[in-house]
Amino acid sequence: MTSPPDLALFFGRFHPLLVHLPIGFLLLLAALELLGRWHRFRNATLANGCILAFTVPASILAATCGWMLSLGGNYDPQFLQWHKWTGVGTAVAATLAALLYAMGQSTFYRWVLALTVAVLTVASHLGGSLTHGKDYLTRYAPGPLRALLGGEDAPRTPGPAGSQTGAVAGRRAFADVVQPILAQYCVGCHGPEKQKAKLRLDTLEGMQAGGHGPAFLAGNSAKSTLIHRMTLPLADDNHMPPDGKPQPAAEEIKLLAWWIDAGAPADRKVGELNPPPDIRRLLDSRLGAPGPVAQVVAPKPLNDVLPQIDLLADELGIAISAIAQGEPWLQANASLPGPQFGDAELARLAPLAPNLRWLDLAGTSVTDAGLSAVASMRNLVRLHLEHTAVTDAGLAQLAGLDDLAYLNLYGTAVTDAALPHLRALPRLRQLYLWQTQVTPEAARAFAEERLDKAELQGWKAEIEQLQARIRGRQFTVEFGATNLTVSPTKVVDPL
Amino acid sequence: MNPVADFYRQQSRRAFLSNTGIAAGRMALATLLFPDWLKAAAPKPGCAHPPLPGLPHFAPRARRLIYLFMNGAPSQIDLWDYKPSLAPLFDTDLPDSIRQGQRLTTMTSNQKRFPIAPSIYKFARHGRCGTWVSELLPYTAQIVDDLAVIKTVHTEAINHDPAATYILTGNMVPGKPSIGAWLSYGLGSEADNLPAFVVMTPRWSAKRDAQALYQRLWGSGFLPSRHQGVALRSAGDPVLFLNNPPGVDASTRRTMLDGLAKLNGLAFEQSGDPEIRTRIAQYEMSFRMQTSIPELTDLAREPQAVLDLYGPEVTQPGTFAASALLARRLIERGVRVVQILHREWDQHDNLPRDLPLQCRDVDQACRGLILDLKQRGLLDETLVVWGGEFGRTVYCQGELSRTNYGRDHHPRCYTMWMAGAGIQPGVVYGETDDFSYNVVRDPVHIRDLNATLLHLMGIDHRRLTYSFQGLDQRLTGTEEANPVKGILA
Repeated sequence: MTSPPDLALFFGRFHPLLVHLPIGFLLLLAALELLGRWHRFRNATLANGCILAFTVPASILAATCGWMLSLGGNYDPQFLQWHKWTGVGTAVAATLAALLYAMGQSTFYRWVLALTVAVLTVASHLGGSLTHGKDYLTRYAPGPLRALLGGEDAPRTPGPAGSQTGAVAGRRAFADVVQPILAQYCVGCHGPEKQKAKLRLDTLEGMQAGGHGPAFLAGNSAKSTLIHRMTLPLADDNHMPPDGKPQPAAEEIKLLAWWIDAGAPADRKVGELNPPPDIRRLLDSRLGAPGPVAQVVAPKPLNDVLPQIDLLADELGIAISAIAQGEPWLQANASLPGPQFGDAELARLAPLAPNLRWLDLAGTSVTDAGLSAVASMRNLVRLHLEHTAVTDAGLAQLAGLDDLAYLNLYGTAVTDAALPHLRALPRLRQLYLWQTQVTPEAARAFAEERLDKAELQGWKAEIEQLQARIRGRQFTVEFGATNLTVSPTKVVDPL
Repeated sequence: MNPVADFYRQQSRRAFLSNTGIAAGRMALATLLFPDWLKAAAPKPGCAHPPLPGLPHFAPRARRLIYLFMNGAPSQIDLWDYKPSLAPLFDTDLPDSIRQGQRLTTMTSNQKRFPIAPSIYKFARHGRCGTWVSELLPYTAQIVDDLAVIKTVHTEAINHDPAATYILTGNMVPGKPSIGAWLSYGLGSEADNLPAFVVMTPRWSAKRDAQALYQRLWGSGFLPSRHQGVALRSAGDPVLFLNNPPGVDASTRRTMLDGLAKLNGLAFEQSGDPEIRTRIAQYEMSFRMQTSIPELTDLAREPQAVLDLYGPEVTQPGTFAASALLARRLIERGVRVVQILHREWDQHDNLPRDLPLQCRDVDQACRGLILDLKQRGLLDETLVVWGGEFGRTVYCQGELSRTNYGRDHHPRCYTMWMAGAGIQPGVVYGETDDFSYNVVRDPVHIRDLNATLLHLMGIDHRRLTYSFQGLDQRLTGTEEANPVKGILA
């Protein structure tokens, strides 16, 4: 097939603009005709001749442009065929209706108009499906309605994060990492329904076949069109996805590049590809935390839990409020009712668990048993347990609170035996142990062990580089006998 | 006169329709954006009330504020702003190039000359950060590694009343809400049996009368009056008339209050005056405070080691040390803002006699408060601010001798410190000239300071507003103000 002339495509692209004119005209005509049957509105149809005079050229023009656009290809051929013929049918039927009207055959005219609207409805739906994808209309429909409409009962988006559990290492690199990203950003235009540039990114074969050449070069992401196009500046005409469409995050592009560099395998597992630490972290956060049970618990939208917030705050006599505008996180302060707040009350906070970020249980009668409720608050960052009955054994349950940064245990019965349990808290930065049985030696050893030495080493290298740069800025003037060196007055102290 | 009837009489049909249309649209929008907005409008009895919808604007670093206000203006030259180069300039005239014809108070504007009075106190570097501190603050010097010392705070006011009103309410003209009232209004109150904002006014040791304090320094201005600070008395009962009179027990008092609340409720339905609601809430609060205040002031369970931190005066009610300890106990009980106003730092004369006495009042307790908050893990969530309303002059007011001098008011630069939540510890911010007279680098207007306080509490100072007299009023006023990024952690 020879490629169509540019001029045809130029006019063709006016199709989406023009096509809505006859749609509006025809629906208006039908509405006015229906209205006119009612005596009170008998004059409603007076202008219909005039409207028909607009409708006929508009529908012929729209159909012509549509035909030209179809020459460009890139669409699902079966859908396209149906849309093309129903569209032409609409134009023909509209013309016929206008002729009948001009001949004064008003009954025939009304029947043909009804037929035109029916064909138009089918043509419009097919056109919408071509542009937006065939489940565009039904995707967010309520379940039963979607089943009725024949929509797929699939998850809304090929879920990238947290939808399944399981060790990250055991997940498939292409199917579980790469495909969801492509499905989210690319397959809308390069998939089963549209194949812009004759490219399909929904299957590995499609990617290998490519559009203008293969989409990737296995083992070399830098020379892969896919990555190249995605990392061009947004303003560049060749940037993909096009400006205005949702853009993948830098991390997502990084994951695609990692998979290509690893040879773009079809069915290898993540673990077999031995990802470097930074990729490993990205994978962990996309596919759920490492370990078979662990999973990232996403906070619920705040509006969904608002009624519970008010109810619980009232009934338990505690303060619960949003931490910041526009974020789902909550803080709860149960220290005010004090001992009246115990394990039973704590368990009632369960519906808010994924949203709780700061929790103050100071001085409450919470015990080790109650900490199982805290363990389910996976997004907790600050936790006050001072002056409670918690003991070393109870703290073991806190393992898995991966975001916990602040833990206050002062005035409790914890001992040195608590510290090993706290090793499982990767982000813990502040720990308060005043008035406990923990010995200063053990606390110091724990702090030493927790010091992020690797990070400090990184800074040290950075500081040395900075110092080298500062030395590079010195200015020397030669006087023959004396040598004058001017350096910046304050030099950064090394660590 | 019935205000509701008046209101209806003044409404024209046209005005009513157009206003209601807009109001209904606004309500619809507000309920869309903040579904709990209508609920928030009706206050519960007791003192706890939720934050305004949409607040905090961003995640706060500080949940509470303790403001140690040194009323009268501590001399920055004798405490923090070390100027060794002044020593040889003793009794020489302040160069005009420094004063630049600046407006002076009437206390020194008639002086024939402005002789430089170097500080007679020794300074030393302290802590790992090496901050210079005067020998008058030996205890505070031990905690400089926890403080951000700002040497370039400045203001426009040159007299106590407008200056204190300015820094604590954002405007020299009385009538604006205080910082604590704004925070209570915006962030709400968690404690059900204590007010959101508590004020203490401990006694002082300088041998002279102090400047008066005014309720407006902790008032609520045009905000609903439930947000005003509640001042605890420094001697005797902390809150007057809180105890039941003889022969009245708690249940009788409860019955009386319930009846009174019903009557007040009727009055509210008639006139719609929101102050009636405040009154109902305050009766309810007082009833709860009958138990919460005695518990608050009972120090029996404080270990001796903790009391020792605050110094020997901690057990004498009405001292700064006792107030500092109460401040810690208040924030532990859910109070959002505690303000201690320590008076008489106004050393116009006899500075060497009075300033050491004033420092002794607060020095050890400041350190005690910081250390006590720190060991409890509370300093990480509490912002502590120390400072006065302006600074003091480098030149002497009155007779200058080698051992005695006085200093007048100086608005162009003075020193404050902040510590705790979100504050970068161990920094000195800003630089003044050799005379501690003008700011050389990094000025911090008191508006910037207040913007910083709000920032740390999770509030964008430009967006916490209250419509009054045709202006969206805010703590930082209409002029530009910016949080001081250089002291933020």
